[in-house]
Amino acid sequence: MNWTTAGPEIYYFAASLWFLLATFIGDGFGPREAPPKAAPTLSAAQPPASHRRREHLTALFLASVGVLVCLISTGSQGHLFIRAYRVDLFSQVFKTLISLGLFLIICLCGDMTDIRQRRHHEFYFLLFTCTLALMLLVSADHLLSIYISLEVSSYSLYILVALRKNQGFGLEAGIKYFLIGTFSSAVMLFGMALLYSMSGTTYLDDMARVLPEIIGQPGVVIGLLFTLGGFFFKLAVFPFHLWAPDAYQGAANQVAAYIATASKVAAIAVIVRVLAFAGQGSVYLVHVLAIVSVVSMTLGNLAAIVQKDLKRLLAFSTIAHSGYVLIGILVLSPAGYSGVIYYALAILVMKFTAFMVIVELASDGRNLQIEELAGLHRRSPILALALMVSLFSLAGIPPTIGFTGKFLVFVAAIEKGYVALVIIAMINVVISLYYYLLVIKAAYLLEPAVALPPLGVSMPKKLLAGVSTLVIVAAGIYPSWLIQLARSAAQSLIWTR
Amino acid sequence: MHMAHASFPFLSAILLSCVAGMIAIMLIPADNKLLIRRVSAFFSGITLILSLWVFLSYDKGLGGLQFVENVRWIPSLGISYFNAVDGFSVPNLLLTGIVFFTGVLTMWELETRVKEYFALYFLLVTGVFGLFMSMDLFFIFVWYDVSLFPMYLLIAVWGTTRKEYGAMKLTLYLLAGSALILPAIIYIYAVSGLHTFSFVSLMQPGLLSPNAQKFAFLLLFLGFGILAGVWPLHTWSPVGHVAAPTGVSMVHAGVLMKIGAFGVLRVAIMLCPVGWIYWAKLMAVLAAIGIIYGALVGLRQIDLKYVIGYSSVSHMGVVGLGLSTVTVEGLNGAVFQMFAHGIMTALLFSSVGYIYDRTHTKLIPELGGLSRIMPVASAFFIVAALAGMGVPGLANFWGELVVFVAAFRTYPLLGIVAVVALVVTSLFMLRVVQRTFYGPENERFAKLPDVSPAQGIPRIILAAVLLFVGLYPSFLFDVIQTASVPFMSGLPR
Repeated sequence: MNWTTAGPEIYYFAASLWFLLATFIGDGFGPREAPPKAAPTLSAAQPPASHRRREHLTALFLASVGVLVCLISTGSQGHLFIRAYRVDLFSQVFKTLISLGLFLIICLCGDMTDIRQRRHHEFYFLLFTCTLALMLLVSADHLLSIYISLEVSSYSLYILVALRKNQGFGLEAGIKYFLIGTFSSAVMLFGMALLYSMSGTTYLDDMARVLPEIIGQPGVVIGLLFTLGGFFFKLAVFPFHLWAPDAYQGAANQVAAYIATASKVAAIAVIVRVLAFAGQGSVYLVHVLAIVSVVSMTLGNLAAIVQKDLKRLLAFSTIAHSGYVLIGILVLSPAGYSGVIYYALAILVMKFTAFMVIVELASDGRNLQIEELAGLHRRSPILALALMVSLFSLAGIPPTIGFTGKFLVFVAAIEKGYVALVIIAMINVVISLYYYLLVIKAAYLLEPAVALPPLGVSMPKKLLAGVSTLVIVAAGIYPSWLIQLARSAAQSLIWTR
Repeated sequence: MHMAHASFPFLSAILLSCVAGMIAIMLIPADNKLLIRRVSAFFSGITLILSLWVFLSYDKGLGGLQFVENVRWIPSLGISYFNAVDGFSVPNLLLTGIVFFTGVLTMWELETRVKEYFALYFLLVTGVFGLFMSMDLFFIFVWYDVSLFPMYLLIAVWGTTRKEYGAMKLTLYLLAGSALILPAIIYIYAVSGLHTFSFVSLMQPGLLSPNAQKFAFLLLFLGFGILAGVWPLHTWSPVGHVAAPTGVSMVHAGVLMKIGAFGVLRVAIMLCPVGWIYWAKLMAVLAAIGIIYGALVGLRQIDLKYVIGYSSVSHMGVVGLGLSTVTVEGLNGAVFQMFAHGIMTALLFSSVGYIYDRTHTKLIPELGGLSRIMPVASAFFIVAALAGMGVPGLANFWGELVVFVAAFRTYPLLGIVAVVALVVTSLFMLRVVQRTFYGPENERFAKLPDVSPAQGIPRIILAAVLLFVGLYPSFLFDVIQTASVPFMSGLPR
């Protein structure tokens, strides 16, 4: 067994250990339990900003090294833990995406006022643990390792959601998230048991050999669908989507951003990996997936129209996007998988950009209402531009990364003959543009009731906004290299089988 | 098809000068409005000169595709950056150049958010140019959307009457069009089995089965037809035109609607000729209804811009009727009419824009007797209105004449109906001219200044083009002929 193949996992394990130790040792300032009545004098209860800054810089440093470690290990291949764990180009590309997601989110955690100062160690600890679990998830090649890594990542997120200072909000969201999460993992376990009973194996590799012959049997289809239920929860696909709006709204902005980016990317990866072994699938499976996809996108888009809270709106748009992603998955072809891999990258970049604007604008950590965007184009032109570009990208307007993702998925679907599905998806795109335009209108057209001062966006943040905007557009104009990468990653899924 | 590669990438240079102009504008500080205007005029002037150069140096003897540039863009999907012009696209390129430049000059007096306006305006025009010159289906779609999404902000920020409603309606309608176009394009790609989006490869006769052509044609015709203002999908167009600021109305009615008609011609008709012949009757009926409907509804309007908006529906119906005849003359007339209507409508909006900026009203009953207050401004409008009526000596006469001759031969009944409708158009144009520019003056406006020579430049250019093409129609017909004749002779009969 070669330990270097698991480089990123070991690295992130060590990094989370570091923060775990930090929570034991404490900071050496102030009482650990702030007396509740001392709240009015915030400055006394809050430790000096330099501590917060130091922690943030440590986390930033660890996350950026993590991206490097993942990049270095993109070439590695092999199996670990008696074939329960598989390292290939597919998993490594997704690990890089997840580590990138973590790094970007930590960039936004500089002045995180929404989570108690003394909880910051725990916050980073959970964030790194969750990232570790997501990385395990994209490599897991055994039903049990999939289940365990999924649970670890979910449990970290339940706590992260509930960590928000505004207790009522965060706790309610955390509990909703937890209840739906445990329900869907129960469904998933049941599905896995069914799959085992039908195929006699828990290794995905072996299933790839057995399943194509018995895929028509009802037990297998139901087992597969139930297993997918657990992942659908992660991806917020109908009917496991109910948590998303509340969790996004209730969680701190940074946590919501993490759920919308890194967590979604990993969910896409695991669904692709599990379905890749189903071969050509069965008609029933494809039909159910098609229905779930259409309902997800239609429901997400229609519900998003009436939202006033920007985070809720983005949550519903996430549900709609899960529908588009499912189109690429249900064609069950390498072209579809490569399209979905590209789409995962697109979701990461555009959702991050949109959330960055929220975090910057709501500097005190409140939930941002759409009308609060009024006058943004004057207060900070760069943020307004970043928001507009990311929303157009979410809507799938070329030349943006979001359009290329949709395009690849649609090409794969029509090559398989699903023209009607693509037309339905395009109608949904039109619906979605309506609410994205409402947000853009607020940022560019509405004027605030009281004149607000320009936003003091720091230079690094401006740079970050500029770079992510540029990436969205550049990857839309010249996507050739990324498409090639996605293709090779999709090939590596199938090649050893 | 004959292909002549470009010695110098003139077509990319056109796109580049638009993009460079946009970047230059974005780099200028927002308070330096004069510099922004000058830079805009400079870059749009270069674009105009380049497009004029392409038009003049297009070799009519050779025909086929010229100024070809072909670079592989996304090899794994068979997408290439493939630009070329033929007899159909060259006149449209010139049209875009003229309207673009005059549109910048018309908006010279803009004071609010000048920088953003011109940056978005340049982006819009980049998309339009790209669509006219692209020979790759993927890029045609991308350019379609690039020319679409700046519209929302352009109308919603700088527009006038019910601007947010108009902007939203327009954007959603046009995106609905693209929702039909994209599946159709991918469908053609998938069915052909060639793994290429290149227009030239996909044009091989017999590549697509008749049923596939019928299906794809319908999607493409409806998708592009929304943008071309085909009845009953036109309702965004008058509302959008009225709401948009003058320069955007000019580009919009002048050029953007032509994109729709051009898309029908380039993508739907040329790729799916069997589907075209199959659906031609439907196209003809819709076009004829559009001509009549636009004229009749226009008759009842009291807002000058609504009048122009509905006349556009009517005139674009003439283009549609030409396309539906399945004859060389019909195609010639349709493309000629696209050019003529583009210039005419730009001049109308430009003149109304001047009047509105001074009087702050576009309502016909409030105006009146303007020809005595601002004779020059009125003259421009009247010239354009006369062109719209199809008076000989002005460009539109030829387009309409050729289309109707072709229509009479193919659909005698619809031809008669359409000609009658055109008389109604003349009637309502004359009525507008009479009520707005003659009759009793409105005292409120008696002191208003007339168009100064500098402000007149864009309108003079447009009026001169109308007159020149009207007196010398073979300037365009000879070029269009080089595309329509080979295409029609290659049709399966």
